[in-house]
Amino acid sequence: MTEVTLSKLDTDSHLILDQPLLRLPHELLRKNLKSAQRQIEVSHKAIDSSLDPVKPSSRPADTLAALDATLAKAQTLKRKLEALHEEERNLHRQQKARIAHLQDLHDVQSVGDVKFDDWSEVRLDRLLVDYLLRQGYTSSARALASAKNVEDLVDISVFEESSRVEAALRGGDVKEALAWCGENKQALKKISSNLELELRLQQFIALRRTGEMGKLTEALVHARKHLGGGQDLEFGLKAGGLLAHPPDTMVEPYATIYSSTRSDYLATLFLQTHHTLFLLPSQPLLHTALSAGLSALKTPTCHSLHNPNRGRSHLSSSIATLTGSPLCPICSTELNELARGVPYAHHTKSFVEEDLVVLPNDRVFGRERLRALCEKLGVPLGKIRDPTEGLRGTEWGEGELRKVYIS
Amino acid sequence: MESILAAHETLSSKANLSKALQDVDALISLLQNARDNIESDPDTTPLHIAKLKTPLKQSFDKIDDDLKEVNKGLNQYQKALKDKFKASALPTASIGSNASDGAATGLDSQRSLVERAIAMHLLREGKFDVASTFVKEVSAQAAGQDDPPRWLEDFADQEGGEDENMDEDEDGELDEELYGELGRGHLQRKFAEMYHILDALRNQHNLTLAIEWARNHSAELEDRGSNLEYELSRLKFVELYTSSPDDANTALLNALDYARATFPTFNSRYARETAALVTTLAYSTQLADSPYSPLFNNPSLWTSTSQLFTREFTSLLNLPSTSPLRTAITAGGLALPILQKVERIMSTSRGQWTSVNELPVETPLPANFMFHSIFVCPVSKEQGTDLNPPMMLPCGHVIAKESLEGTSRGKSRVKCPYCPIESKPGEARRVYI
Repeated sequence: MTEVTLSKLDTDSHLILDQPLLRLPHELLRKNLKSAQRQIEVSHKAIDSSLDPVKPSSRPADTLAALDATLAKAQTLKRKLEALHEEERNLHRQQKARIAHLQDLHDVQSVGDVKFDDWSEVRLDRLLVDYLLRQGYTSSARALASAKNVEDLVDISVFEESSRVEAALRGGDVKEALAWCGENKQALKKISSNLELELRLQQFIALRRTGEMGKLTEALVHARKHLGGGQDLEFGLKAGGLLAHPPDTMVEPYATIYSSTRSDYLATLFLQTHHTLFLLPSQPLLHTALSAGLSALKTPTCHSLHNPNRGRSHLSSSIATLTGSPLCPICSTELNELARGVPYAHHTKSFVEEDLVVLPNDRVFGRERLRALCEKLGVPLGKIRDPTEGLRGTEWGEGELRKVYIS
Repeated sequence: MESILAAHETLSSKANLSKALQDVDALISLLQNARDNIESDPDTTPLHIAKLKTPLKQSFDKIDDDLKEVNKGLNQYQKALKDKFKASALPTASIGSNASDGAATGLDSQRSLVERAIAMHLLREGKFDVASTFVKEVSAQAAGQDDPPRWLEDFADQEGGEDENMDEDEDGELDEELYGELGRGHLQRKFAEMYHILDALRNQHNLTLAIEWARNHSAELEDRGSNLEYELSRLKFVELYTSSPDDANTALLNALDYARATFPTFNSRYARETAALVTTLAYSTQLADSPYSPLFNNPSLWTSTSQLFTREFTSLLNLPSTSPLRTAITAGGLALPILQKVERIMSTSRGQWTSVNELPVETPLPANFMFHSIFVCPVSKEQGTDLNPPMMLPCGHVIAKESLEGTSRGKSRVKCPYCPIESKPGEARRVYI
């Protein structure tokens, strides 16, 4: 471990977590443009068709009426485009804020820089908001984003929409999800997603489940319309199989398809599809960063039975032990349990203080630190005490210290 | 970064829907004109209708072109992004968890612990409103489950929440055990107190609350060998000293009174420092030139004292002074590029790392991220653990237990790998580093 690698910050590799930050607004801008294109196409057709019947020979009154209708359509187009333009402006503002945020990191020279701490704090807030949003804690996410002023760096509305659809799916309602599929038809086709087919199949199942004759016919029509087409034969076959098996069947795969776990499956599938479409990572980035961080910080001492700080919770009324070093984040209550399963950091060299001595109770200290701690504890000159034992520790003569060599 | 910024500038200044909107406006006025003309002079209807067709088509062509330009801008931006982030794959969290367990385990399965860490983080950052919103939302989500996360009980819901908790009287005994006499919401109250005092200290430069707190916790602070109480008193002394420049004498007297009343309690540990402070009274007219001027003209004093206060306060709660979550995420950011590289190399070479408990590579962190001494056995290059602890030979050199067993196998005496001294294996002593 050399100082050189540490002091210099490799910005580009440090930003590996931050790709989605710039990707998402971009994807949304694309989507926005697609909507604009669709609007214009629709209006173009509508305007053409409303002007079509107007011939130079038409009566002026008819012509006026047709023109009025056309004008109304053009006005609608304008309104819609204005809304899209507004959205576009919002996205541009977010984009700008995000670029500036990443640019800030480029201005940081070294890890020791105060600016790096500031930047890291903003990143933590971002990751936290992202986590809260993904877990459906939308109010908390909003509150945190506004308290920390990072609204433009997080994607609240995107996740709000996806959570809404997800919740509806878990509740057995596929309408919103289908609407979402409709909005993103082209993109879904591109990643050859079968989300829409699954949703249509779900509608079919709901109709089939009733068992009423009328509904069954309806189910049949539904299946022909949505599941039969050339896309994926499997869905049509499944629908056929479901018709043959009643909802209480034990026959697989139909029993699973009928079971209530299917709504969870659909919700998960929707989230997966949604995240893939917007190039969002499937796991919260907080997890990625946290597990790497826990490992990098963890030492075998953190969960050792002999660690004086381990497992001490803020709730135990005993007095904090005195080691003179800052408390380790992995040893603290917040993260100790969480870090139990992760591997500890790899080291090739010992990292110890200079001039080590061992106390009669086998604990090793740097001589200087031990002296300073004993002084703080008011241990008489010429005597020493294990500072981790606080005021009640045994006192030894200084002569009982032994030098120890660790290389 | 520059090319991304440039592409963004193009997008926000040119390649956006504003042009299309202008052209739609033009289209509307075109239609409006035709309509007005026809209305005012119905006889010209055929003429105007005939005249309308071509411009109408042109308008739509123009709008299409406008959109094409937006598309071009977006493509440019995408290209800039691609150049910036060459590796498109995001690192996965699997590297952190044990590789053999697969990616499904890891933090996903420990949601409640992650959320407890977040809640504590919010508290210690002083975001009490956010924390309480969070606790409410977690409770609401957990309401449907049989096993609500235990940690929720450590956070007080100011309104109403208490009643809900009261219903769970059956496991009241367990609570007692877990939370001791401190009760629920203990942590939240503590941090609220801390921020209350800090606010007075940092923003209003008001020492009263901090001094009062330090006095109430005098014994614990003393036990930790903390300077907080002294530092606060010193600050108070300086404050009194310099409080009213118009009436220097009264200020001096106040400071002297304060010194008389307070400083004797610090005599055992700070005799020299308090003596120096009192001596400054003799230099009152020319403090700036006196050797004591650094004591008075130190703008960072309030900040550093606030930091000291935070550290002591959190230490008494047995918590680190910076949020562990923040430290861990920053460390994670530093370690991730290395881990990602390893993951990439291992996936191409189909290798697997053998030691499950340890990361496969060094992930160097700055010195202020090192919290423990680390012992690496000079023989086996393995880190000391509870199962393979460091053993000190009689000569004072330390090697790992397994290395010692390896070299001493079948022999009654073992030679230290570092010096010529031989000893019996049984003489080696386990040390705690």
